Amino acid sequence: MKKIFIVLSVALVAFSSCKSLKEEWDPVFTFGENKPAAMKLYTEQDLSSLGCNGFTSIRDLKAMYKSGGVELFGNIWIKGQVISSDRTGNVYREIYIQDETGGIDLKLGKSSLYSDYKLGQWIYVKCDNLTLGAYNGMPQLGLEPDSTTTNEYETSYIDSQAIIDSHVFRGAFADPLTPAVVGETELKAALSAGYTGELWGKLVTINGLKYGNEIFALLYPNPNLPHKSGNPENRIFLSDGGVWGIDTWSMSKAKFIEYVSSGAWDAAQVGSGSTRYGPITGKPSDYLQPGKVLDSFGTDAELTYKEIMIKYATANYVSHYFKVGSVDVQVRTSGYAKFSDEVLDSRLLTGGATCSITGILSIYSGAAQFTLVDEPSVSVKIN
Amino acid sequence: MKRLLLAFAALLAAVALSAQDYTGGVKGTVVNRNGRQPVEKAKLTLMQGAVEVAVVESAEDGTFEIPDLADGLYTLVITAPDFLDNQVQVTVNDGYVKNMFNLSMTAIQQVTELDEDSFAAFDLDDSGYNDNPTILFGSNDVFNNIAGYNFSSVRFRARGYSSESQDVYLAGVKLNDAITGYSPFSLWSGLNEAMRSKETVNGSEVSDYGFGGYNGLTNIFGNALNVRKGLRGSVLTNSTLYRLRLMASYATGPMDNGWAFAANVSARLGGNDWIDGVYYRSFAYYLAADKVFNSTHKLSFAFFGTPGERGAQNASTQEVYDLMKDNMYNSNWGYQNGKVRNARVRKTHEPIAFLKYDFTPSDAFQGSATVLYRFGKNGYTALDWYDAQDPRPDYYRNLPSYFYDENPDMNRANYAKWGWANEVWKFSELYPNLTHINWDRLYNVNAIQEGGRSKYVQEERHVDQNDLNFAASFKWRAADFVTVTGGLNARINRTENYKIVADLLGGQYFLDIDNFAERDFAAQPWKLQNDLEYYMANNGASRILHEGDKYGYDYLAQVRNYGGWVNGKFVFGNFSANVGGRLGYESFWREGLLRKGLFPGQPDNETMAAAWKNEGIVATDETSYGSSKHANFLTYAGKLGLNYVIGGNQRVYANVGYFNDAPKFNQVFLSPRTRNTMIDDIAPIKTFSSDVNWQYSGNGINVRATLYYTSIKDQSKVMSAYDDLQNAFSNFAISNIDQQNYGLELGFKIPTYLVNNLSLQGVLAAGRYEYTSTPRMTQTVDNSAEVVMKDVLVPYWRCGYDENGNRQQHYLPSTPQIAASLGLAYNYNYWFIDADVEYFGESYLDMNPLYRTDYATAGPDNNVTPAEIAYMTKQERFAPAVLVNASVGKSWYIKYKYQLGFSLNVKNLLNNTDVKTGGYEQTRMVDNTVSKERYYRFDSKYFYMSGFNYMLNVYFRF
Repeated sequence: MKKIFIVLSVALVAFSSCKSLKEEWDPVFTFGENKPAAMKLYTEQDLSSLGCNGFTSIRDLKAMYKSGGVELFGNIWIKGQVISSDRTGNVYREIYIQDETGGIDLKLGKSSLYSDYKLGQWIYVKCDNLTLGAYNGMPQLGLEPDSTTTNEYETSYIDSQAIIDSHVFRGAFADPLTPAVVGETELKAALSAGYTGELWGKLVTINGLKYGNEIFALLYPNPNLPHKSGNPENRIFLSDGGVWGIDTWSMSKAKFIEYVSSGAWDAAQVGSGSTRYGPITGKPSDYLQPGKVLDSFGTDAELTYKEIMIKYATANYVSHYFKVGSVDVQVRTSGYAKFSDEVLDSRLLTGGATCSITGILSIYSGAAQFTLVDEPSVSVKIN
Repeated sequence: MKRLLLAFAALLAAVALSAQDYTGGVKGTVVNRNGRQPVEKAKLTLMQGAVEVAVVESAEDGTFEIPDLADGLYTLVITAPDFLDNQVQVTVNDGYVKNMFNLSMTAIQQVTELDEDSFAAFDLDDSGYNDNPTILFGSNDVFNNIAGYNFSSVRFRARGYSSESQDVYLAGVKLNDAITGYSPFSLWSGLNEAMRSKETVNGSEVSDYGFGGYNGLTNIFGNALNVRKGLRGSVLTNSTLYRLRLMASYATGPMDNGWAFAANVSARLGGNDWIDGVYYRSFAYYLAADKVFNSTHKLSFAFFGTPGERGAQNASTQEVYDLMKDNMYNSNWGYQNGKVRNARVRKTHEPIAFLKYDFTPSDAFQGSATVLYRFGKNGYTALDWYDAQDPRPDYYRNLPSYFYDENPDMNRANYAKWGWANEVWKFSELYPNLTHINWDRLYNVNAIQEGGRSKYVQEERHVDQNDLNFAASFKWRAADFVTVTGGLNARINRTENYKIVADLLGGQYFLDIDNFAERDFAAQPWKLQNDLEYYMANNGASRILHEGDKYGYDYLAQVRNYGGWVNGKFVFGNFSANVGGRLGYESFWREGLLRKGLFPGQPDNETMAAAWKNEGIVATDETSYGSSKHANFLTYAGKLGLNYVIGGNQRVYANVGYFNDAPKFNQVFLSPRTRNTMIDDIAPIKTFSSDVNWQYSGNGINVRATLYYTSIKDQSKVMSAYDDLQNAFSNFAISNIDQQNYGLELGFKIPTYLVNNLSLQGVLAAGRYEYTSTPRMTQTVDNSAEVVMKDVLVPYWRCGYDENGNRQQHYLPSTPQIAASLGLAYNYNYWFIDADVEYFGESYLDMNPLYRTDYATAGPDNNVTPAEIAYMTKQERFAPAVLVNASVGKSWYIKYKYQLGFSLNVKNLLNNTDVKTGGYEQTRMVDNTVSKERYYRFDSKYFYMSGFNYMLNVYFRF
């Protein structure tokens, strides 16, 4: 009997002494103190071991741009501090970094980047194999563009974590940068410089802005259907002066429905350029007419454009026009921003007050465009 | 393999040490394997070669003795009415009387080591898919004997029935989960010895313990007197689930003072050879006492539980499996500080206590009454995150297919990114932090957040039951030709569903707000609150959460049911019949314990109304708080069985039943985590079931053949998933699901007559389990009261069409509709050796209803084409599989009082790792296409069967 127990015990010991078993018993984690080491924050010395032997300024990097975009090769590194945050949802899938010579949009392609990239934190970018491009004149650093037939971008999002990990290195935390204060003069200079203007992509505060009582929005009655310029029936421009009843920074889905339903847009024309389909209260002609009556959804052919807009409602961006001196500045806000439905300060809307706005300044088709990083309560100060 | 060899070496050493010659007569006790009850008047024929040496009958207490035997090897053949023939070899040496202890006769089914542990814990998240296994117990049924164990590896479901249709009783109390109906085997896994004694009936047969449904009834006795007497210990290792099981049991058997005690403990520990991250750290305990006051009165009490945790396996897409070159890849785990950690861990401790009273005033009447209470905790961890990147490594945006697809319409055309992602997955060993959960990153992200607010936490979703049951049953032989059985039952179930912050992953706190609501209603902060009343009482502050705090949702599922049943069995010579009925009442409702900002309902009083008005809170018709309306059902069923015995060895019998049952709680609430809303027009489930059977048992031959037909109507279910088109967590409630199951079951075991003790055995299950209706679906989203689709038809649920318009029938999923096994079984001198070849075919993937709607087939342009119908509605059929399994076992008696034995089961000897056992379609579609004319499916997710695997059990008894 005793011998049997000995033998069985030996067998058990033999089982548990196998190397793979030791790994199996021990590592399985079940709650408790087992915190990993702090995140690696790269220093410039660390980067030298990765082949970095110096940094190109953002201004010099931008200067490498060629129309259509340029793929970068070789030992090109830039560094900068984070000046954007997607916390409020107004910046999406990208971060802006800035050095003393300028700022640039880094198209990382991931959401909730502010959880990983903190304001003021140093970022080092290995540009080898990345693509420097522009979108409507605004410089961006991303990856080679997608080869889809509908692609209209010079870069694509980096969004593969392996590429991010091998090209974007997070460095030390630092205090958030103080925005540069600019006025009409600096804006005019930047606009005249075009793509190479030093202000584009930087965190700035513009003083003395006055509300222009004008908005711009491009709406798609059915966003699920093609809606590029070749499909004008699925495009509605809210522009040509006036605010179309919009007093919020942009519009969530619920707010969009509210605006459409209010009748404030009833005069808005469907179509673009010389191709017009009449006001949104009319019925679609052909493009938006479906081929089959569906049990669950009815048919769009029975609906007016306005009803189609409500049925397929989504959040939408809005650009509000401000002026500093004679220069127009559009403040563009995403419909997915957490402050999208926040009403602009009445002193701006109707009182003629001026304000200071802080955000990321960019150039869009030759015009200055502002993107708020924080909520308006922080970013917009009434003078 | 090395471990296996070591185990064998140890085993053989033990055998060598103990190999001695023993002599004696033969004695023992003949018992019913089900319940260990003595079998009276069993005929025991002792043979030596072809010579009949002695014939005796077992006594009233089942005992027998055959004295004065010469040395030698004998065969003891045991026969008894209503039992399978049995024969064992016995060696008599040196004049000793060999005590063979209990010689089991199989009355209704044979028991194997099969239990809930035989099935991997599949992580189906909130998908609403059900992959709960059913377990076939053997008893005297040759089909179940073979299919039960051999088919478990493909999660075979007898006749295609779902888990909830299998009635499982403990001590006479039906213990199927009150909320889901699932069979509750996990409550006693690891207590194999304590729960070994059980009695099972098949199909629509009526048990002495309950009326049952159409998928059999198993009653586990669970009391002290039904635990095998003596001390037993066993060591078990297997290569698919856990490394080691240690088990010990002790039972006194009946003592002179009328008491009997039993205990069973076990531990299941370690990982396995196939699925990383799956592990067990589970324990089990069982204590029981019986007191036999006299021949009339007996009390039984038992208390047991299975505290522990086990890591779950997740399904992935075939793309991931192919890239990893491993169909067992599990995305649930990752390295933390270099150690393996699973994000999905089931942590349970749900003790059960029961008190049973048996009343036997006469030979003609016996009754019992049981009170049973289940309580404790049942948690399941998962990652939760707030405004942060999806941490799952196989999230579709991390895969090569997200960046490039050969179909240009898919709008995925960046080959460079495809190359990078492909590199990561193909060389996963170089990128462990990208191909598994990157725990270090989760901690590091939390560590850099201002104020210490965690971005990532590990939540623990609880389904904690308080389940009080009462059941009473009786069996009365009213006359020689009629026996009446019947019973009453009542159940009060109060199950709290909530989640807690299990681990802040290095952060300091978490906030109790709804992520999805924040995205859409940021300007209305009251809408974001999971606990609106806290928000109102704390000046608009969201509740700050620390580890252990409840958050998110908290509601009670309240279930009540009461019923009674009666069955009469009439015997007229060789003909017998039974007829019975069941009547019951079931009621359930949801009781919200939190008032959620999105669904606040109506204010309770004027003060609250004023406060709401002041805050701008808008009352809603749908509410998250308080009691929902009660869903009430009158349930009933009837059964008729006919049985005719032909010549003593053959039996022909048929059963027919009709059942009107209530749906389950989890099948009718649209989104129980957020509100009280139920599916409209809930209907009871109507089932008609019938079978015709032929059975032969004699001369060592056992055969059973069955034809069956079952129709189930008006089923419903709710599935949940993230819907890209709605950008929200979405719920799909489907009702009016009908199905029919029909087919053939055949099981046989026949001596080969060529080699002594060698039998040919096999089973065939060939059926059709198919959908027969066009259900309706309602889609809602968690962050809005808006109904996305209201009661729409799902026209392609029952069948789809190929591009030529040919009808394609759709089938019930996750079980082979054709399963066959053929093998040899050898029994001699305490050795058993089995080898089987199995075939599984016609197994289908679980369908999602969204793909079968006009909406999905029409695409964004609302234009339905045959190509879209063919593509979107097709149901995937799994490739057939051939498996080879083998088993070997042997036991030895040592010094007249000890028994040492082992069994080794080796499955999938061909190491086939391409056998899909289940999976599901993702309930989401690719809509960002170039043409904007159609939608595309997301890739389906699958579970695979393990390759070559073994289970070695070494046991010792004295």
